[in-house]
Amino acid sequence: MIFEARALSFAYPAIDVPAVQDVSLAIGRGEFVAIVGPNGSGKTTLVRLLLGALAPTAGQARTLGRAARSWSARALAQRVGVVAQREEPVFPLRVRHMVTLGRYPHVGALQSLSSVDEAVVDRALAYADATHLGHRWIATLSGGEWQRVRLARALAQEPEVLVLDEATGGLDVRHEMEVFELVAGLVTDPGLTAVIVTHHVNLAARYADRVVVMDGGRAVAVGLPAQVLTQPLLEQVFAWPVTVRSWRGVPQFLPLKRGESAQHGDGS
Amino acid sequence: MGERIASRPRARTRPGVVRRVCLAGIPLAVASVLSCGSPPADTHQPSARIVSLAPASTELLFALGAGPQVVGRTRWGVDPPEAEAVPSVGDGLEPNVEAVAGRRPDLVVFYQSPANAAAMEQLAQLGIRIVAIRMDRLEDVIDAARELGHATGHAARADSLADGFAAALDSARADSGAGPRRSVLILSWDQPPIIIGGGSFQSQLVDLAGARNVFGELTRPSAQVSIETIAARDPDIVLVIGGGTGTPDWAERPEWKVVRAVRERRFARVEGTAFSHPSFRALDAARLLRRALEAVPQ
Amino acid sequence: MRRWTGLAVLAVAALAIGVLAGPVDLGARDVVSGLMGRGDPVHVVIVRNLRVPRVLLAFAVGGSLAVTGAVLQALVRNPLADPYLLGLSGGAGLGAVLAITLGLAGPWAVPIAAAIGALLAIVTVYRLAVVAGSVLDTRVLLLGGVVVGAFASAVVGAILALSPAESLRNALVWLLGGFDGASWQALGIFLIYAVVPIAVLYRASRPLDLLSLGEEPARFLGADVEPLKRRLYVSASVLTAAAVAVSGIIGFVGLVVPHAIRLVWGHTHRSLLPAAFLLGGALLAGADALARTAFAPLTLPVGVVTAVLGVPVFALLLRRWAT
Repeated sequence: MIFEARALSFAYPAIDVPAVQDVSLAIGRGEFVAIVGPNGSGKTTLVRLLLGALAPTAGQARTLGRAARSWSARALAQRVGVVAQREEPVFPLRVRHMVTLGRYPHVGALQSLSSVDEAVVDRALAYADATHLGHRWIATLSGGEWQRVRLARALAQEPEVLVLDEATGGLDVRHEMEVFELVAGLVTDPGLTAVIVTHHVNLAARYADRVVVMDGGRAVAVGLPAQVLTQPLLEQVFAWPVTVRSWRGVPQFLPLKRGESAQHGDGS
Repeated sequence: MGERIASRPRARTRPGVVRRVCLAGIPLAVASVLSCGSPPADTHQPSARIVSLAPASTELLFALGAGPQVVGRTRWGVDPPEAEAVPSVGDGLEPNVEAVAGRRPDLVVFYQSPANAAAMEQLAQLGIRIVAIRMDRLEDVIDAARELGHATGHAARADSLADGFAAALDSARADSGAGPRRSVLILSWDQPPIIIGGGSFQSQLVDLAGARNVFGELTRPSAQVSIETIAARDPDIVLVIGGGTGTPDWAERPEWKVVRAVRERRFARVEGTAFSHPSFRALDAARLLRRALEAVPQ
Repeated sequence: MRRWTGLAVLAVAALAIGVLAGPVDLGARDVVSGLMGRGDPVHVVIVRNLRVPRVLLAFAVGGSLAVTGAVLQALVRNPLADPYLLGLSGGAGLGAVLAITLGLAGPWAVPIAAAIGALLAIVTVYRLAVVAGSVLDTRVLLLGGVVVGAFASAVVGAILALSPAESLRNALVWLLGGFDGASWQALGIFLIYAVVPIAVLYRASRPLDLLSLGEEPARFLGADVEPLKRRLYVSASVLTAAAVAVSGIIGFVGLVVPHAIRLVWGHTHRSLLPAAFLLGGALLAGADALARTAFAPLTLPVGVVTAVLGVPVFALLLRRWAT
């Protein structure tokens, strides 16, 4: 079991409403799981709890068979690569150097980086389609390029598990699809486990093995996309009228314009 | 007039001007209320109420016989003992104008310094006569005595004291000895090392005492130097001005052991206000200093 | 490799200049024989007991300030950080001024008082910055340092305004920094306090690279963020307090040297820190030599020389930074 939550709850100090309430789920090895939900539904907090960055106020969070909080940062970083929502670097660095930082969990404090490390960095850059960016300063990157560089850095950690927290924001269609394709490919071979927090419910439905729908801190649905992403659920969670179509057996939803009804358009 | 190496322009007495003014600052407003309608400062009348804003001037005023006219002094100016009875008006540098004006003076004696320019201007606008005096060297005492003598109606006494002092100074110089002079380091502070140079009256006292200031060629009154320089000049005696006896604390520090005089504990110590500002007691001070220096074995 | 050679040459040159130059005009031969204990005994004593320990102390202090500056810039994620923003320069200044105006006895009164003042400031800022358990908030650290430093400076100002003019001038001169108090003992004492913090900071080179990215990215790349921040803060503080106690407040070295090094060596702390140490040491040893000789026999405060040298260099660096 890669990640496990048992009746997991968390409230930020001095805030009455818990950010995560009584969430239970289990993510197994080799799964591609997407976590979706409206803003403020607790997606990022849940991920932080599973990674041991926060201590639960109730319940348990377990990572790779141990309590999430019991992992040392270094040991966890050797196995789990994380691309978080935001990162604001203060010092100018070149892209290749930034990606090389992903090797640090595997390198001793006073040890030098070896040619093996450099090869891993090359490969990570290639995977993320960022090889041509190697010499650029990170401050000169576009939003999408910046995301890909951070993804490359996470890949340089040679993780068993990849956690992306809204890491495709700001990417154009091609690059976003490439990220999902890349992750899906890594899940297939060499068998990574992927947890993606995303706003793109439709892509989540098509790529993920399972979907977790969060709303108000609770996991209101966990399961196969076809089972979970129904019109009543989506309308309730996102508080907006939607219609759901099927594409190759996978539900895809369309938010409706004001005054539009689901009867128009082709098929149902 | 004695030889003046470090010459600075001295402010002459400022004539007061009567104005009905709208003064911006509150202290000025208060002071103006206190002295509104005061007559123009009369340079021909001797001053009846004097505030002295420098300890050296206070001492000089009492020496001239103007003591009873002094109605205000700085908090540090308590020479002679009679001066203690005079109320203090605070600091001499950047003085409290309100406190000074509150003594209703017709003459204020300032320490000449750019820091006092504003205060001098403010008091002058109130019709108060201003005299700015700076005494770095012994010769300055002569000029200051004459000026203050005139301003306070003790001109005759001032002239006689000044002439007497000038003559005594000349003869003391002649007597101070043509023979070999011992070299003296006049140390003001230890960390960092600050020495007294030729521009200060303390250096002149050392000359009068028959010795030689090892930094006498510097025209400034004081300077920061490195211990290395002191060691190279190898003074025979280290003179420490101020209270205390025996070896000073800082002499225990390893870096000072480089100086032979410190290593061999060759210290002379003197204290008293005659050593902190120039005055008519300078020659007595020089004699005291000579004895202190002679007490250090050759 | 060439860069390191150049830096090493610079360091050695600075050390040599520091020993050869001085207010007392000694030719190179006199200096060399002085080093070996031959020749005029006054020269021997000057060279061996004054110049050599002074140059070494200036080098050690300069290197320590540069390393501390680099570490703090990463810790608070601000390129304008320098060792004194921790507020401890205000605390040290307050301690020293109190010692001087109270006329405390003992040859080491001022350095000890400065060190105590610095440590009290460190503790105060630390307590201010610890929130919610033991998490060290670096933004509060920054602001807390400024606040504590400003408070201490205000108190110093009040004390100086109320004391006689004599002690005022002396306290101010001490605060401007200088190596007149250098001796083999002073060097030894400084090294005792400096060696462990420097080693701790160097060992934290890789975590420092990560910390510059931000606390969350650093954590997910394997840095144990909370203990790391504490370790860095304590070591940087002890190191700076020791420097201030021994030589007063010397600005610009901790601010400018790391930036100059980054231009050539980049941001990897494994090379940045040792290079910063060498350049900072060379800079301060050179500045001290200049302070001693420029207007001989008068001595300038070292802090003035580093400022005069540092400001144009910093302006140049800013232009490069902007482009």
